[in-house]
Amino acid sequence: MKPAPFKYYAPTTAEEALAHLAEHGYDAKVLAGGQSLIPTMNFRLAQPSVLVDLNHVSELFYIKPGGDGGVLVGAMTRESQVEHDPLIAERAPLVFEAMPHIAHPQIRNRGTFGGCIAHADPAAELPAVSVALDARLRIRSQAGERWVSADEFFVGFFTTVIEPDELLVEIALPPMAPRSGCSFQEVARRHGDYALVGAAASVALDHQGRCQRVRLVFLSVGEGPVEAGRAADLLQGQFPTPEAIRAAAETAASADVDPGSDIHASADYRRHLVKILARQSLTQAFDRAKGIGG
Amino acid sequence: MEIHLRINDEARTFQVAPGDLLLDVLRREGYFGVKHGCEDGSCGACTVLLDGIPRASCTMLAAQAEGAEVTTIEGVADVALEGYGPSQGWRGNVNLHPIQQSFVETGAIQCGYCTPAMILAAKSLLETEPNPTEDQVRDALSGVLCRCTGYLKPVQAVLRAAAVLRGEEVSPIKGREGIPAPPDLFPTPSTGPGRASPTPPEELGPDLVGGGDVALKTTPVPTMVVAPETNRLRVVGKPEPKVDAIKLVQGKPAFAADMEKRGMLIGKLLRSPYAHARIRRVDASQARALPGVHAVLTYEDVPRVARSTAGQSHPIPGPLDSFSFDTKVRHVGDRVAAVAAETEEIAEEALRLIEVEYEVFPAILDPRDALDNPVVIHDEPDYVNFAHSNPERNLAAQLRIDLGDVDQAMEAAEHVFEAEYAVPRVQQAPIEPYVCITYWDEDDRLVFRTSTQVPFHIRRILAPVLGLPVKRIRVIKPRIGGGFGNKQEVMIEDACAHLTIATGRPVKMEYTRQEQFVGSTSRHPMIIKMRTGVMNDGTMVANEMITLADTGAYGNHALTVTGNTGHKAMSLYNAPNIRFYADIVYTNYPSSGAYRGYGVPQGFWAVESHMERICKEMGWDPIQFRLKNAVKAGDEHPLSKVWSEGREPKPEVIQTCALPEAVQEGAVHFGWRRGTNDDDYHRVPGKSHLRRGQGVAMVMQGTAIPYLDMGAASIKMNDDGSFNLLVGATDLGTGSDTVLGQMVAEVLGCPLEDVIVYSSDTDFTPFDKGAYASSTTYISGAAAVRAAEQVAAQIRERAAKMLAIPRQGDVADVSEPGWQPHDIDLYDRRAWAPDGRSVSLEEVALNTLHSEDQHQIMGIGSYVSPVSPPPFAAQFAEVTVDVETGQVTVDRLLMALDCGVIVNPATASSQVEGGMAQALGYAISEEMAFDESGRMANPRFGDYRIFSADEMPDMQVIFVETYEPSHPFGVKAVAEIPLDGVAPAVGNAVYDAVGVQILDIPLTPEKVWQALREKNRH
Repeated sequence: MKPAPFKYYAPTTAEEALAHLAEHGYDAKVLAGGQSLIPTMNFRLAQPSVLVDLNHVSELFYIKPGGDGGVLVGAMTRESQVEHDPLIAERAPLVFEAMPHIAHPQIRNRGTFGGCIAHADPAAELPAVSVALDARLRIRSQAGERWVSADEFFVGFFTTVIEPDELLVEIALPPMAPRSGCSFQEVARRHGDYALVGAAASVALDHQGRCQRVRLVFLSVGEGPVEAGRAADLLQGQFPTPEAIRAAAETAASADVDPGSDIHASADYRRHLVKILARQSLTQAFDRAKGIGG
Repeated sequence: MEIHLRINDEARTFQVAPGDLLLDVLRREGYFGVKHGCEDGSCGACTVLLDGIPRASCTMLAAQAEGAEVTTIEGVADVALEGYGPSQGWRGNVNLHPIQQSFVETGAIQCGYCTPAMILAAKSLLETEPNPTEDQVRDALSGVLCRCTGYLKPVQAVLRAAAVLRGEEVSPIKGREGIPAPPDLFPTPSTGPGRASPTPPEELGPDLVGGGDVALKTTPVPTMVVAPETNRLRVVGKPEPKVDAIKLVQGKPAFAADMEKRGMLIGKLLRSPYAHARIRRVDASQARALPGVHAVLTYEDVPRVARSTAGQSHPIPGPLDSFSFDTKVRHVGDRVAAVAAETEEIAEEALRLIEVEYEVFPAILDPRDALDNPVVIHDEPDYVNFAHSNPERNLAAQLRIDLGDVDQAMEAAEHVFEAEYAVPRVQQAPIEPYVCITYWDEDDRLVFRTSTQVPFHIRRILAPVLGLPVKRIRVIKPRIGGGFGNKQEVMIEDACAHLTIATGRPVKMEYTRQEQFVGSTSRHPMIIKMRTGVMNDGTMVANEMITLADTGAYGNHALTVTGNTGHKAMSLYNAPNIRFYADIVYTNYPSSGAYRGYGVPQGFWAVESHMERICKEMGWDPIQFRLKNAVKAGDEHPLSKVWSEGREPKPEVIQTCALPEAVQEGAVHFGWRRGTNDDDYHRVPGKSHLRRGQGVAMVMQGTAIPYLDMGAASIKMNDDGSFNLLVGATDLGTGSDTVLGQMVAEVLGCPLEDVIVYSSDTDFTPFDKGAYASSTTYISGAAAVRAAEQVAAQIRERAAKMLAIPRQGDVADVSEPGWQPHDIDLYDRRAWAPDGRSVSLEEVALNTLHSEDQHQIMGIGSYVSPVSPPPFAAQFAEVTVDVETGQVTVDRLLMALDCGVIVNPATASSQVEGGMAQALGYAISEEMAFDESGRMANPRFGDYRIFSADEMPDMQVIFVETYEPSHPFGVKAVAEIPLDGVAPAVGNAVYDAVGVQILDIPLTPEKVWQALREKNRH
């Protein structure tokens, strides 16, 4: 099948791109890497009348150190670039760990960091990772720009707070605090498949070794990234003993998620995987925060 | 809009529409090495290098490539390179890139459809990483799905090319200088199986375990135990590069779709949204009025002719129950109408404009509900029955076979074991989808250029459907991008031809990946009940299989696939009392059909799981118990006397069987540990949630259909002593052109390069029933050998005359040379008299064609076999199971086979590796899923999971040769048997690892988790 006819713009600046979006509003779609959009257009599940291609907007391709010790990633940076970037490996190890789970090399060579986040596929890795890291997202329109935290960015099934005249331009990944650790785990039928369930954990300990901060986020169990708030509350201020982690994992499975059934997995099994992956990812993240293990 | 690209170092400017995909523009401009396999980037066949980086061109707009540097496979070979390549005459050679050379040498190419993409992905890798690890290579290839090779040889090829590019020396790929057979390995049938001592791996030379200087996890070269009869062979038994490798590695326009015709229209099909409905009204007026639409065809426009889509010999052994267009639709995706239009876009638009009014009926979506359901799927009056088909009962075919008295034997048995097993619907998934081009030639004959396994059957089957005599139809089979039984079907050719007849124009029809899933065929799902009676001493006294097979909406291959389930899987164990019953029922799913293994993998999942259960419960060693009951050389094939593909059965005696020897070789090389009481083995140190296990399965298949399958070949000799070999046999990537060429070269005493192989074209090549039933090497090979023997006799005759002239100075009696023509030996491109004198084949050719008593040296041979000698194999698997998540990881697979003499170890082992990869999908990941309305829920790669390069287990192949006396080179079949035993070996390994036997595949994580949960409850 072939895409339905549309108008195509290939702006070279963000300003120009925003002008097109302002003009065409809901009729326009932003084309980033195209690894999800072009297939949906090929299947005619999406039929935008205007396509604004960002692939020539060079100002959106970068990875650079943030002033706070974190990393700033331009929205159009290719996933393969992020996957192999030393600054990402050093300052955003959770992102580094998650990247190889995304599809296969040809897809990552074209797919973009910002595109994956803005697409808000509930089964995708990067939305969950960005929430776990408390990433901040810079969104521009002709009127100006605003910053949104990742946990407020995703509002439902393939839906974000981005308005039709807006563009996600940058993702700010905060620095790793001292005594912090993270872990990304998923169960997939096959490497590179969308996960049956995945978990991104990011934790920090205080001087006594108690939990100071816990972020545990799941993918493929809801309409977007699903944060396990009750499980995190249970651990807050506690020593992360195996028993405490186990209790948090039970809570995550029983109280934090409400997964659905589909051809890939039943709700029951997904709930079970949430428990297993919560335990595994928290254990690894706390071990790393304590300086144990890799 | 205008775009500017630099393609293969050449500046090009194209006019494109914004919606044109880069893939389509490149193919339109003649870069046919870029292949279509899907629409969402998941198969990678369309990979190109964009500014040096591999990209899927089907998920990219051409407009997006503005200003980019594009490399396609056409830009990879270069006169500036070193090495070799095809001669361009006085211009010299276009030399292949080292990666291309390496793909040719290692046998990394089967159908060649994904080869360009793999080479480009590898090229990009080696430019940034000259010394990659095997894992890096696998990762780089992981975006290109291959359904043929199992990835082992492509990975080897890339590592070998890397070594060459680094300037290192690599040694030639070795073939069968294998380990000699133990003296008593090949017993005569009368003496029974001999005792063979297996060869320990450390005694094998480095060439045998490594091959070609590159270290891989597992050996890409098969281990060979060679039959002594093959010692004198010069070409047969060598890992010759495939005869089509050079063109495939360059991405030459060899496939059905790689062709332009002036005025060619695009054909598209409208498909049913309902699983079961009557078409009350069709209104195509709006679609016909759309500019650019040249024809819209429905049941109102095309003659109604009952036929079967199964590509089988005459008469079709199944019901005639389908029509080009019908008033009824029987599954979601069933055909409603066909459109021919100027472009794909217009054709798509026209489909949307066809108005159809349906009366929707209840659908049968569980085969257990099908028999005698008041809902009747085939109520058409012109349905043509075959044997026991009964459309009123939703019964496409039925089998009732009894040998001995099973019920009485079960009564008498000391132990009776019963269980019910199930297997899913899975797809062949060739990377090249169905594609066909039809046109009228200048003699008003209708020509098909189509991706098929059965060109001759198409011609015969479609003649009445199209209202043309057979003689006015020509079917050309170009290179085929994989088939695996999927293309043993006449599925789109009729629609394409109707459109050409309606418009007078050439028409191309090509399936999307989604259509390939819902509009082609699949492996029959089955529910199989086993009941087996065993005595205390382990003797199996009765074996019973009751099968419910789901043929889907149509009965193509219904009887024969399911018949083979019993005929092969129930013949491995020679119980005196055997029962095989089967009901093959209609349901409202896409139709089942032929898929490599042809019913036998289904049967062996049940049989070999059941044997494991018996061994566990009775405490038998799984190898001992199986060998104790398995058939042996000299035995009568148990079911041969009661069933033969719906035709008259005749008993067959098994002449060769090295199953015990294969098991022994396999067990030693695999490191079989069952029976060692090593409980620690199951545990993985430091990973308390993991368990390891090993499993084995034994299997057999057949070789061709006796008294039915016929293949023919013709050979003519050229001026330079080369030969044209014309075969009707249908190479679909398997390498059959190569092995047939090797056999002919062996007989004619020339190298393979002197045999120009052509297959197949109903106008030029003699008849062959096509590529199926594991028959080409055996049947078509024997035919080619017969043709070659005729040619050889004529060469000898002429050479004898030429050599009878005395040499200068000799005083010889011309009339008494002391030897006869048949004493002449043909080798090294010469005919040798016993006295040491010789003439070259070129001299013989020139003499015969131009000088004396001129005639064309040529021969034609055909062959049909009275027997179907079974190949045998043992398949071993080792798995790790995560008991928390249920995930099964297959770590190793080993297959030890008795397939008779191996004509080409590279192509044969490649067949086995690729077959194991497909079978692995059957075991743990593949399943066509449907929603409650009968709509397929996962009609795309990704959701339908076939294995990629980075997730393959270690694989090893061992050939234990026997010399099958019914064939001139002692061969038996190799192509299908690898599909049979992987699933049960994996299932038995999971059983070993966690103590739970799961009765249905695929062994998904959730299923394993559920089973473990059940077990822990008790």
